[in-house]
Amino acid sequence: MTRDRLRQSLTTGAIFGVVLVFLVLIGFQATAAQLIGGLIGNGYSIAISGTSGLGLDMLVFFALIGLWAGMSAARRRTPDLWSYALEGAAVTGAVSGAALALFGFLVDQLSAAGVALSAYLAQMVTSNTQLFILNLPATQVAVLYFALILLSSLLGAVMMRGMVRASWPQRLNDHLGRPFARLGGWLSHTLHRVTANRGSRYSLYGVLILLAILIPQGLGPFWNYTLGTVLIYVLLGLGLNVVVGLAGLLDLGYVAFYAIGAYTVALLTAPAPHHLLWSFWIALPIGIAVAALAGVVLGVPVLRLRGDYLAIVTLGFGEILGTLTRADALTSFTGGPMGVKDVAGPTLFGLSFSSGADYIYLMALGTIVIILITTRLQNSRVGRAWEAMREDETVARAMGVNTLVQKLLAFGIGAAFAGMGGVIFAARNQFTGPDDYTLMVSINVLCLVIVGGMGNMPGVIAGALVLKGLPEVLRQLQDYRLVAFGALLVVMMIVRPEGILPSRRRRLEVHAAESPPQTDSEGPGDRERLARNDGRS
Amino acid sequence: MQPAVALRSRIPLTPFQIAQIVIGIAFTIYLVYRFYVVLVVQRTYGPDTWLRLAISGLVLGAVYGLIAIGYTLVYGILFMINFAHGDIMMVGCFGGYFVFEALRAIHAPGGSFLDVYPIPSVLLAFAGGMGVAAVGGYFLEKIAYRPLRNAPRLVPLISAIGASIFLENAAQLLFGSQPRDYSNPAVLTRGTGWNLYVGGTAVVVTYTGVFTFVLSILMLIGLYLLVQHTRLGRAMRAVAENKPVASLMGIDVDSVISQTFIISGALAGAAGVMWGVHLGLVYYYVGFVPGIKAFTAAVLGGIGNVPGAMLGGVFLGVVEALGPPILGWSFQLADVIAFAILVLVLVFRPTGLLGEVLTEAKV
Repeated sequence: MTRDRLRQSLTTGAIFGVVLVFLVLIGFQATAAQLIGGLIGNGYSIAISGTSGLGLDMLVFFALIGLWAGMSAARRRTPDLWSYALEGAAVTGAVSGAALALFGFLVDQLSAAGVALSAYLAQMVTSNTQLFILNLPATQVAVLYFALILLSSLLGAVMMRGMVRASWPQRLNDHLGRPFARLGGWLSHTLHRVTANRGSRYSLYGVLILLAILIPQGLGPFWNYTLGTVLIYVLLGLGLNVVVGLAGLLDLGYVAFYAIGAYTVALLTAPAPHHLLWSFWIALPIGIAVAALAGVVLGVPVLRLRGDYLAIVTLGFGEILGTLTRADALTSFTGGPMGVKDVAGPTLFGLSFSSGADYIYLMALGTIVIILITTRLQNSRVGRAWEAMREDETVARAMGVNTLVQKLLAFGIGAAFAGMGGVIFAARNQFTGPDDYTLMVSINVLCLVIVGGMGNMPGVIAGALVLKGLPEVLRQLQDYRLVAFGALLVVMMIVRPEGILPSRRRRLEVHAAESPPQTDSEGPGDRERLARNDGRS
Repeated sequence: MQPAVALRSRIPLTPFQIAQIVIGIAFTIYLVYRFYVVLVVQRTYGPDTWLRLAISGLVLGAVYGLIAIGYTLVYGILFMINFAHGDIMMVGCFGGYFVFEALRAIHAPGGSFLDVYPIPSVLLAFAGGMGVAAVGGYFLEKIAYRPLRNAPRLVPLISAIGASIFLENAAQLLFGSQPRDYSNPAVLTRGTGWNLYVGGTAVVVTYTGVFTFVLSILMLIGLYLLVQHTRLGRAMRAVAENKPVASLMGIDVDSVISQTFIISGALAGAAGVMWGVHLGLVYYYVGFVPGIKAFTAAVLGGIGNVPGAMLGGVFLGVVEALGPPILGWSFQLADVIAFAILVLVLVFRPTGLLGEVLTEAKV
């Protein structure tokens, strides 16, 4: 039992130690120090022996991580004793502190010896390294970091234990949680009553539309551009949602249809490779139709495949199309690697779309149309056929669903939505080039569908806001957002695989796998429960 | 394969099959015609160029095969696309790079350690690259896949994509985005090799190419023997066949899966070092394209099938090298040919060239 506890603490300590060293290696401590400096006000930032004035802020950052380490070491201790919590936190803090101390010692020695670390480690530039070692001798750096992490870890354990035993979380929940729950209940009740009545429903829609019209006017060009990007991904996500979420076909080459839409409008309206100079409003339906047609044509040979094979083939198609748009050999047709410039934007009553807000209206309109179409389809015979196909293709076929037609329909509709996104994207940027249509787009769209909640349209919109909008808001952490994005995807899949706002069916599906009793669990709690059950029966 | 047996017995040919046959015949005729044009009518390239292309294709194909093994092993056991496998190869590539750099900095009588003792250096580099990649594979499975063992199939795929994004960007932050030159030992200088005279023109068979090809074939044979003839290999096949029954037979399924990831990581690491030694550049994105190509190779050969992965890799490498001149396309379009082959094989023969080891029912 003691050895188990020790091993658990050691593991936690090792994880936090690795994380700490990794954060320093990618230079995050400097960014974090700046953020903390901004947060607590620069007046409190004390320069330690001549460093850039952020030394204390960086130490605060490390201490916060140490605090977290101690809290996670002290959590779930059975039995819940002070000695166990402190012991675990001490071991954890010592291990992770030792890792950081050793690393600090090493960095200090190396930089004292005049080794330029940044030749091999890009973020270990002099300013970051200097901040990290605080202009102290190596042994002092090591002692400082060890003590800092150890003490903050112990403090974290005390806090954790206090939090677990204290009555205030419960009271906080009573005082804040209940009114919030009541407010939520009241809101949903009111919403229900309002939407039940036709007149009030339309007035609610009117208010929402008014808001949608007014909001883009109040935003600056940057925010309009960001909102536009998010909305394009909403369009793509809603389209992929039809293919993956409703029909259950995994498509990893979705970017192909997006590119087809964009290139159709670009080649039809731009002066450069073909000089057709058509109007945007003619090119828009053509772009959508071409994308839908491409979806059906590509679908015919590959839809016989199931599951992962379908994913791979669609991925192959996406890559083929990407390579073709990039090829020099096709420059006379697609504009080649330089792309197509001067794509025409839409004009309405002689006025051309100029600001980002105009495009946001267009995208919002497109989103509404897509939502309407998808809702109608979802609740129709087609939607039921998709659902049956997704659950079990063989059974669906036995029940008389023409799976081929239904799959082609899903593929075509999804492709048409992506084509619409592509058309608007190319028109807004007035440019389209091969670099906009990489595999990463397909992957991002798939991620936002799954993170948002597969098969659920509000979920998809939430996913687009979180995955495309949040990184834009966190510009300060620009260098680190993709690393964080990757890590978040993994954590999200482990913690909440059904997505942020899942459809009810999906939630049940995801958790169905967990409900059968697990045979290999070794927790003492399980054994106790089993024993109790035995006794009862 | 197809559940609709009753349907098929009533209608002799489905539209699918008709379309398949028509496309197949048209494609074959076109290919024969192009061969005729390129080899007989135009004669754009002499035999020396063809040989050079074939050699480069073989070498690249062997590396693809080595990476493809990792996909095949993991897919065979967990039925998931290990999307981060290409990035494990990148990790191995960096591991070998740093070993070489460190050895180059060590002084030995008569130059740097790297040039004076090439064989220990190469062994150390492979040990470093394979070791780092194996550790990477182990932790990848432990952190990103093991908690999702019983989740629906899309969930581990997204987790794998997340791990891939994380690894790529972490490498970019750690080592910068500029490509770095791989410093080989002097005997393995890139571009040098034996000269073969074909029709009066010299064709260089590079040392790095021969080294890469021979070493990957040896590793593949070793892996095949491991899977077929050792206790661990038998356990791996048993777990791939049926996990619950395997665990009833006393096999520690988790440990076998971990070891599978370690082995496939080590092979990917070796492929990474070879990639660096032969092609000479290492950067954070180096694993992405070989990863996708290798997955294609694994599917081509029949997923879950170890010799198939090798064959698929070599086939893909050669087709990629020889395809563009035969079809009269630019070399930029090699990827189009590679993926078109993938699509064609999956449409015509979804089980791959050598047939997959697992059946549809298990998937």
